[in-house]
Amino acid sequence: MTQHKVLSKQDLLSLFEGKKSFISDIDSHKKALDYINANEFPTNKTEAWKNSNLNQLTKHKFCLPENKNENEVLEDTFAVFNMQPYKISIINGKYSPENSDLKLENSKIFIGSLKEAKEKHSDLFNKYYNKTESYKDNVFASLNTAFAEDGVFIYLPDNIVLEKPIHVLFFSNGREQKAFIQNRNLVVIGNNSFADILISYHSVSFDSVLTNVVSEVFLEENSNLNLNVFQGEGEGTFHINNTHFIQQKGSNLTTNSAIMCGEFVRNDLIVDLLGEYCNTSLNGFYLSEKEQHFDNYIKVNHLSANCNSNQLYKGILDNKSSASFFGKVFVARDSQKTDANQSNKNILLTDNAKVFSKPQLEIYADDVSCSHGSTTGQLDKEALFYLRSRGISERNAKTLMLYAFISDVINQINLTPYKELLYFLLNKRLKGDKIEGLCSIKICPSC
Amino acid sequence: MLKITNLRAEIDGKEILKGINLEVKPGEVHAIMGPNGSGKSTLASVLAGREIYKVTGGKIEFNGKNLLDLSPEERSREGIFLAFQYPIEIPGVSITNFMRAALDEHRKHKGLKPLSASEFLKFMKEKKALVELDAKLEGRAVNEGFSGGEKKKNEVFQMAMLEPLLSILDETDSGLDIDALKIVANGVNKLKTQQNASIVITHYQRLLDYIVPDIVHVLYNGKIVKTGGKELALQLEEQGYEDIKFKADKK
Repeated sequence: MTQHKVLSKQDLLSLFEGKKSFISDIDSHKKALDYINANEFPTNKTEAWKNSNLNQLTKHKFCLPENKNENEVLEDTFAVFNMQPYKISIINGKYSPENSDLKLENSKIFIGSLKEAKEKHSDLFNKYYNKTESYKDNVFASLNTAFAEDGVFIYLPDNIVLEKPIHVLFFSNGREQKAFIQNRNLVVIGNNSFADILISYHSVSFDSVLTNVVSEVFLEENSNLNLNVFQGEGEGTFHINNTHFIQQKGSNLTTNSAIMCGEFVRNDLIVDLLGEYCNTSLNGFYLSEKEQHFDNYIKVNHLSANCNSNQLYKGILDNKSSASFFGKVFVARDSQKTDANQSNKNILLTDNAKVFSKPQLEIYADDVSCSHGSTTGQLDKEALFYLRSRGISERNAKTLMLYAFISDVINQINLTPYKELLYFLLNKRLKGDKIEGLCSIKICPSC
Repeated sequence: MLKITNLRAEIDGKEILKGINLEVKPGEVHAIMGPNGSGKSTLASVLAGREIYKVTGGKIEFNGKNLLDLSPEERSREGIFLAFQYPIEIPGVSITNFMRAALDEHRKHKGLKPLSASEFLKFMKEKKALVELDAKLEGRAVNEGFSGGEKKKNEVFQMAMLEPLLSILDETDSGLDIDALKIVANGVNKLKTQQNASIVITHYQRLLDYIVPDIVHVLYNGKIVKTGGKELALQLEEQGYEDIKFKADKK
């Protein structure tokens, strides 16, 4: 039998020797440590991770980032054309005021460093922080809970409609070393409030980085949140992301995830529908090539009646790349009138690309409407012939069809400047141009 | 314009076309009739370059070029157009984007600059009027959820956009009611010039009341067994294919 190399918990833990907790209080820190001691990193024997092999991580030795150039002002190349957002940047897990632009009209709104919020808004911090208990999801989430140093805190009090979107930029920088970077975020949208958020991940260099993010997002009653996540870290990046949403009565959540970069990406989205009449729409697309592996793991827990949830994930896989989609809808016994749909569609461009798709329903209520579907295939040859018979080259015909395939997902985004950017990047990518997470690329449609 | 010599083709090892000879000159309208399974649609597919059919012998010359050397897209740019019997649905691709991409490639092939957005829309509007294509359809995905009539109108609309030298109408009358048939035939007639030609493939004489052919061929068992003027179509309508089949089988 071949010896499976397993990601060593001790190696990663040793990085934090002598380090205390930065964000977590003593109790949360201890609970997370207990979890780490009692559990191992997921392997391909772990059900939730069986299609995502972490073995590649064992090839690298990670260090904590040094942050030599902490105050370096990064070239403003990730600005989304025409967006003019509130902008906050986190570099290697630490808030960078130099790269942020936060002029808030209302002093009750908070957008800033989580570490800072712990001091300044301890009441809010204590009310929400670690309340989703995501540290129990896996060792990565508990490592984050135990040792993350900073991240973003966004707080909208009740009855606020934020006119401008919020753009959160995370930069990872493994320039001198292979850095292990953690980000910890907390988002609270108050009763009847409304926000558009774009979170984008970028790397300043190509070297391998392991980014480990945990976000907790609370939607209070009748609030609205559109959350867009753009994964734009460079080639050698391992990105592990755990986002846990808690939705209260009448709240509306729309997420959109775009994954085009990185070597290994794992996105966990967990949604707990605690109140009635919530709407949840989780959308995403992934374009993988080479040996990239992208994994979306989604759980929507219908814990109340009269809620709707939708999942739409689409992927195009090239070369030897692979992807995994796991989507589960759980409907509790009293969650009557639940309406839940799941759809995962994939196009394989080569015989070597692989997709694992598993939409799942677990229903304990008897008056619900739930559906799920999954398709994986190649481009329709008849349709290709039809387009070619009108003079369109094979290559352009493929691009046209793939573009249309992904458009379904991008069309759901209501942040127009970002939507246009994604169309621009999609087109570039389908034409075979390189898109990387590097700062040197200006990503605005006009350039 | 088009010269087919002793063309043989097969699918999955089964020979369908068993030596076709056909010559089409500019300005002509040819009708190809024949019973089910005689090879009519195969001939149309082979002309358009559908790859599932394997050409095992013979030649197809189109304006001096060897058609069999060309890819489907090159054939289209050279001026061949196949109106599909069953037009394909292309989810998510709008007719406008589809035709824009096609026209750009046709113009590039001719050494012309692409039309500007406003020129293109103007051009498209003119062509749409020609086939009475509903304005609502242009924003929709190609053929997605179209009725049978809309699909066929959309085929003739594309033909109008691309201005082919040789158009092949494969059972364009199938699935059409009489009103839609008139509109489609009318569109085809309006597009006719002294420079272009058409091959109309059909089961029934009905379509030929509206698109009047110069020459009628009867295809049976992979071969053209009879050729005549437009009166041949009427004769077939009255007598059916039995007599022709009988004579051909006897040979």
